[in-house]
Amino acid sequence: MPFTAHDLRYDLEHSYSSLCAYLQQRAQRELRQLAYDANEVDLVVGHVVEQLTRLHLLGGGDNSPQSALDRLSNAQFYAFLNHSVRNKAIDRLRKHRLPTSTLSEVEGLASNEDEYDPLYTVTSSIWGSNPFPTPEAAALRAASQQELRMLLKRCIEELSSAPRQLLAVLEELEELGEGDFLEELKENFRTLLTDLELSHLSQHKDHAHKKLRHCLQKSSTNLAVLVAFRLTEYGEHSTGTNEVSVDIKDLKQTGLSEQEVQAGLQRLVKVGLLEWHGEQFVRCSSIQLKHLTRFYEEGE
Amino acid sequence: MNKRNHNEDLPDPRDKYLPLAQWLQQVLSITPRQLEHEPASITDDGERFGDDYHIEFYQQLPDFVLALLNDDTQATIRFAPLLFHLIGCPTCHTAYLEIYDAMRAAVGSAETYTPITPSSHSMATTSTQMLVYLCRLLINQAKAVLLQGHHDHTDNDEWARSLLQQAIYISSHLMQSTLRQRALRDLVEVATLFESATTPTEQEPAAYSYTPVLSTGSGARHSTTRRRVEAIGRPVEQPAIYLQAEISGVEGMITQTEDVLELHLEDLPQELRGQPLTISVLLGSILEPVRWFGGNPRAIRSQVPVRDDGKLTIPLGKTELRLSNPEDHNILEATFKKLDVRPSD
Repeated sequence: MPFTAHDLRYDLEHSYSSLCAYLQQRAQRELRQLAYDANEVDLVVGHVVEQLTRLHLLGGGDNSPQSALDRLSNAQFYAFLNHSVRNKAIDRLRKHRLPTSTLSEVEGLASNEDEYDPLYTVTSSIWGSNPFPTPEAAALRAASQQELRMLLKRCIEELSSAPRQLLAVLEELEELGEGDFLEELKENFRTLLTDLELSHLSQHKDHAHKKLRHCLQKSSTNLAVLVAFRLTEYGEHSTGTNEVSVDIKDLKQTGLSEQEVQAGLQRLVKVGLLEWHGEQFVRCSSIQLKHLTRFYEEGE
Repeated sequence: MNKRNHNEDLPDPRDKYLPLAQWLQQVLSITPRQLEHEPASITDDGERFGDDYHIEFYQQLPDFVLALLNDDTQATIRFAPLLFHLIGCPTCHTAYLEIYDAMRAAVGSAETYTPITPSSHSMATTSTQMLVYLCRLLINQAKAVLLQGHHDHTDNDEWARSLLQQAIYISSHLMQSTLRQRALRDLVEVATLFESATTPTEQEPAAYSYTPVLSTGSGARHSTTRRRVEAIGRPVEQPAIYLQAEISGVEGMITQTEDVLELHLEDLPQELRGQPLTISVLLGSILEPVRWFGGNPRAIRSQVPVRDDGKLTIPLGKTELRLSNPEDHNILEATFKKLDVRPSD
């Protein structure tokens, strides 16, 4: 029987054989001249099996969170598998060809071969419109998108618990000519950084980078900024008071789970921007609201 | 100044952020242990599954990719930690590229549903290499899940247990014991990562630590089996799991009488004779089909002491699995992959 993503998640023992048979058939088709090399076929099939396991689909049951893969239709899921097989097969074909040929030989070979050879026809289209085809492109987006710069700023601010590390990073930013948020950071921490001397600069830099790396990839930092933004956006003034209140339900809109909202709120409590003890409605004063706005807004 | 020159004078907004982007990339870069490593085959027994698998981020890739494909303007913000991770992790970035391409094809797919013709695909017809590979993947995944749980202070034991169970059940279809051993190579190591793995009784080292004996081919196995069975005084035909203690080489055996699994030990040393023993089945809590006597597979106490001739028989638990059934036998064999013996108290 044909298998589905659901079968692979909930009944792996009985659907794995069909998955292997299907992937094997596709791999043989895509591997062209390597189709009869059992080791190559296994490598392609194994790669896709590994990917599906890493994505928590194979045998994930109810223990692992469902993802976009689970929501694909059967036709889409099979298309996903087909393309995964195809890309790995191309990868294998390239690996077999390149070591025995110079680049010019490969180019010559390409022009003489069938114009539909996937080795060459796919090259230009595989990553064509991918927004982040390289880590450099992702870095450029992170540096240029305001909200992401804001996260970076938050994480730099967290270095204030180790002023020399903060200073080391500020000096780096100064060297980069990064004036945008540098001035505000300097202003905010003027007293802290006054008369601070930097010895062992590289050591402070290394520690600071490690903390930044951790902070930027920590979902709670991101959630705090998102939740701060939503608090100021969705907050309603309570009549007769200076307070704003927001229902947690409203904070959950567009893609945040209740757990994520709670993590974001807890983070805001931790940095002293909010008082919240798990209530359904989050309340904050107008002063807190002002601080929250500053928390997510990038100083220009 | 003509229009073209005027445009050339305008700074490219991306250039403005380029230095910061480069700095960010430097800050976020991690060096994968073996960037260029790729196995020559899936049977490669080396460090196949490295530390470069970042479970927390990898699992978000399909949702992130779908959000990008749907032009979700909030995608980069909602998945900001993942985006920052992709800047610095080449392994996850490669996975992102693969998933992006496959998801894009899937979402915009004009392909029709291509079911396999109904056929007799079963574990018996699946390549043993692919079965071994899946078992190793599942065990490795269980390890990643447990380590992530320890890191996040979340309880992932149930999830990991389910992955290990599936690995054991799938390995039971491998009829060659050397293949089963390869498939379950890391099982014991991963089982020790469970929160509940260290119980106070196990603070002291085991007197003996037994593992199942591999059969080495039909002829040799039969003669070895016959010798063992005769030595332990059981009928030759009785299905059993043969155990051997590491280092000392003393032997034991697990047999079944109706539903009850019994452990037979022999050649126990002088210092253990006359004493009751406590048996610990490390993987006993992984599988549900065995109801262990006393309720705790990590501390099954013998009701009688070791005999003067160094022998002891201990009932371990009840199960509907049958040692006479090859697949059930293999499941039970995996369960007894590590069996420790200690003097009680």
